Amino acid sequence: MMRPVFIAKTALFCARGDSPTAVASALWNGECSAGQRKLGERAFPYFGLPLDEADWMVRSEKAVRQIAGQLGQLQPETPLFVASSSFQIGHFEQLGAPFDLPLAAASFSRQIGEWMGLSGACYSFSNACTSGFSALDAARSLIAAGLIDDAIVLGVELANDSTLAGFAAMELLSRTAGRPFDARRDGLVLGEAVATVYLSAKPATWRIAGLRTGLDGFSTTGPNPDGSRIADVTVDCLKEANLKSADIELIKLQAAGSPGTDLAEANALRSVFGQNMPLLLSLKPGLGHTLGASGLAELAALLACLEADKIPATAGFSKVDPEIALFPMVERSTEHIERALLNLVGFGGGLASLIVERHG
Amino acid sequence: MIRLTAVLSQSFAPVELPAAVRAALGKPLRRAAPLTQLALVGALACLPAERRALPTALLWQSTSGPRLETLTLLDEVCSGGAEPMPYDFLATQPAIAAAQIQNFLPGLQTAMHLPLDSQGVANWSLLLSLAIIWLNEGRCAQVLCAQLDHAAAAACAHWLALSRAPIENSPACLHLVDGASNISRPDTPDFPARLAEWLAGHDGPTLSLHSPVAMKLTVEFTRL
Repeated sequence: MMRPVFIAKTALFCARGDSPTAVASALWNGECSAGQRKLGERAFPYFGLPLDEADWMVRSEKAVRQIAGQLGQLQPETPLFVASSSFQIGHFEQLGAPFDLPLAAASFSRQIGEWMGLSGACYSFSNACTSGFSALDAARSLIAAGLIDDAIVLGVELANDSTLAGFAAMELLSRTAGRPFDARRDGLVLGEAVATVYLSAKPATWRIAGLRTGLDGFSTTGPNPDGSRIADVTVDCLKEANLKSADIELIKLQAAGSPGTDLAEANALRSVFGQNMPLLLSLKPGLGHTLGASGLAELAALLACLEADKIPATAGFSKVDPEIALFPMVERSTEHIERALLNLVGFGGGLASLIVERHG
Repeated sequence: MIRLTAVLSQSFAPVELPAAVRAALGKPLRRAAPLTQLALVGALACLPAERRALPTALLWQSTSGPRLETLTLLDEVCSGGAEPMPYDFLATQPAIAAAQIQNFLPGLQTAMHLPLDSQGVANWSLLLSLAIIWLNEGRCAQVLCAQLDHAAAAACAHWLALSRAPIENSPACLHLVDGASNISRPDTPDFPARLAEWLAGHDGPTLSLHSPVAMKLTVEFTRL
């Protein structure tokens, strides 16, 4: 028998603040300034954590312990699900050659568990930008089936040159700002985040109504421009949630300002929602694209916005792209939202849709 | 009832892997990292042609991950004078394997990559539990579970394929049960090889997968 799964707590540390409510408040106030990260002769806008520590591992520990502090006392045996696309590669960049990589790829997850005070099961997920929702999906499946009662799902993406250089080499980064769905969009702006979602079988304000992951093998770096695979995943998610498209009141977009992926997502949304498009919101102009942590970071930020009935405007959008012809919110709203859809469209073909619904 | 439809263990010298891919596809797979090649060869060996369009999930774990490719990238980023080659960066992103093999497994709907945090210990218990849950929900028709590792000396793969529909000659079925049977095997990367030995022998009607991680239910195999 499947049980409902609830989001009991969230925690978030990113460029916009050191708690979900602080981040929601900053977004509501329209804060979207980014720092810079240099790569050789080039500099890119970058949403770094406000931490002064120079040592990568010391800095990481501080970030993870900050998150643990937000969650408060945890049962040590609580299962931990870690999502990241880069784990501790920044640490090895800092140590330099010869690169003494651990023999087990995700050994950093054990370190995170120690910093969090968790000694139970620890699982790691690395599916590029959809890592966070893959981890969330695994955890909620086990809770729903009664195999575990609760779980900490943690997304972590911390500064490193390897990821920045990889995206830069493929000309996927903007040199100015992320502009979701905008005619002038020219790429992503990356960022750091650590975020957690505490899932439980015990009732709480938000319930996971649906969660589906998918795959688009059109290309290793972007989805089919027609958006058909993205639409399939969203429709599957609606079916699982036993909802119609008209029941969704707000969509947290993947949209990061990528020319190709934004178009594919827009085509998918048109195919699923037609003329009844819900409110559209992108958080990436304020948080950056935090890759493996992005799903959980944006979920934590969004829930804090919705709990306050304060939906921020989408920064960076001002000029409609006629090919996309969709309009993220440019004005703040105090609308009360009962159900929201969150989309992820990942590098490497990963796709995910999550529907959260207020409970009770 | 969830049925076990394939148990497979493979090992290749790195130089043999491209030839194995050519043998499986009838052509080379261009610009594919070794883990992708390993995934493709194993997945096609587990699924006969008539089952490749069925809704399929791939859950794969790895101890090594793309370690050699990551070392190459680190060398380029930290020691080189220019940005890395895009392919070298892509090769460090294991999720890309699924996108590349979807062309040959059109039913592949979703994939999850789970890097492991310790040597000698695996997450078969998690993979098989998720597979059983998702198959029972009707989320997909079959699930491929794999352990893929690639090192300088060898590329190794262990596979289990599970199906919701009855399959002729299926050697066992799987359940989540309360408690464990008398015969168990530890959750190690080569668990499918241990399972194959048990299936080939005659000791007991059931075998459970003993995980050091306590979940409320245990994965149990029953001979058919």
